Order: sequence, then C-alpha cells, then structure tokens
Amino acid sequence: MIKESYRQIGDEELVRATLEGDKRAYGEIISRYQNMVARTVKGMLGDSVYAEDIGQEVFVKLFYSLSDFRGEAKLSTYIQKIAVNLTLNEIKRRKRFFSMFSHKGNDEMHEIEIPDHDSEEKRDAVELVNKALMNLDPKFRVIVAMRMLQGYSTRETAEILDLPLGTVLSRLSRAQEQMKSILKKI
Amino acid sequence: MNDMKSKDLKLLILKSLELESDPKEISQEINEAGAEYNFRDGFSDKVLDRIYSSGSAIVKKVEFVRDLNFVFYRLALTGAAAIIVLLISLFIMEGSFNLNSVLGLGNSYDETITCLLTGY
Repeated sequence: MIKESYRQIGDEELVRATLEGDKRAYGEIISRYQNMVARTVKGMLGDSVYAEDIGQEVFVKLFYSLSDFRGEAKLSTYIQKIAVNLTLNEIKRRKRFFSMFSHKGNDEMHEIEIPDHDSEEKRDAVELVNKALMNLDPKFRVIVAMRMLQGYSTRETAEILDLPLGTVLSRLSRAQEQMKSILKKI
Repeated sequence: MNDMKSKDLKLLILKSLELESDPKEISQEINEAGAEYNFRDGFSDKVLDRIYSSGSAIVKKVEFVRDLNFVFYRLALTGAAAIIVLLISLFIMEGSFNLNSVLGLGNSYDETITCLLTGY
C-alpha cells in the first residue's frame, strides 16, 4: 500500500523526502532508475560483477549529491551523468591497471561474464550486444550505448556527456563504421 | 539464438546508429529482442544498506568525538582548578612565588644537597 503511494510521487517530491531522511523514498528512486543505470553501466562495462558495483556506486554518489540537485535538469539526466562519469572512470582505471600488467592493450574489455538470464535466447542476445559494444573504442561505446540501449537522441546524448552536438554526431558516424566491421566478425 | 534472429539483431544495432532512425523505438525493439539489462535481485536493498549503515557509522563516530571533547573539557577544568588551589596554598605557606617554593625546595635544601654530594 505504502509502496504503491510512493510510485505515484514525482521525482522532486521523492528527492525532498529523501533529504528529510525518508529511506523508502530513496528506495523508490533506486527502483525507478536502476534499469536505466544498468543499461548504461553494463552496456559500457559488460555484464560483469564490476558493473554491479559501479551501479551501486552510482546510487551511493547520487544520495550524497542530492542536496546539490537543483531540479534544473531532469533527475534521470542527473543520474545518467553520474553513471557515465563513474563508468568512464572505471574504464580508465581498468585500462591503466591492465596496461601495467599486460601488453594486450584494450583486451580487458572483452572479459564478459554473462549472468543467468531467464532464457538462452536472452543470454545470446545480451552476449551479441555486449560483444559488439565491447569491441568499440570506449569514446564511441558511450555514445552508442546511450543511443542504442537508452534511446537518447544525439542532442540528449550531447547534454548528458557535456559534449558539443557536432562531436557527438561525428563520433556516431565513426562508431557506425566501426560497428559494421565488428558485426561482420562476430 | 538462431542465425536469423542474430542477423535481425545485428541489423537493429546498425539501424540504431543511423541518424534518421528513431532511437527510442529501436532501443525498445532491441530490448524486446532480449538484450535487456538489469541488476541482480536485492540491488536496491544493498544500496540502501550501504548508505544507511555507513551513515549510522558516521553518526557514531561524531558522537564519540563529542563525548571525548566533553570529557577533555571536564578534565581540563578540574586540572586548572587544582593548579589555582595549589598556587594559593603555596603563596599562603611560603609568602612568595619564587622558583624554589613552586618546586617545593626550601633554602636549606641547597646546603644539604651540597653536603650530601661533596661529603663536607
């Protein structure tokens, strides 16, 4: 009953309630946006346990920065920005780590753990999309993940990534070329 | 996943990157094709535990520091009061605040110590 009533509350009201110490209000924010964050984080990092940790980190960081949220942008955009930044930091961190211990360069991105999905078909679909994304250059990957998995337009992507629209368009075009050759191989 | 479905999914992926396509519609189709991403069960509870249990740890730490400050102030006040009482009693007994009286050494001490050390 209470859960139902939280579902009807708008984002701004939930943020206010969270800041006043309402734990269930924050639980509702998490339920509302966890799939969106999962698509961004898992789309960019692969379907691994690391992605789960980064996903948790996104909501922990959001919680501590909620008092800075002015409501000028949508809450979903604010969360997306946190998710993208944390994921890009993780990609950089892993790149540094792997470059210290191996000469394989970007190969760390190909380690994908596929968790148990409800059907083999779903598992295969996720595997195919992951393979396609993980083989992309990270700066293209984020743009493709935003568009392909989240359904964001180029303008929305530019806003979330704080990039000029022209940059997003040119990266999208280059990503398209790269994706074509990747999909031929897999 | 059979070859046909795999081919369809690949086409959808490529279509999603075309500028003329509607990204919302295609992402929905990709999702329906099975490429959906979720966190594991209990994700929300894990996050809430992390936030609210670490929050209570911070509160406990702050309370400990506050208690420590309180104890420190009480000890400092008691110590300052003891020093003042000691100085007043010294002044009454010795009539001055010279170094020897503060250190508890009488004038006769010098000679005694000299005798003791030199044997004369």
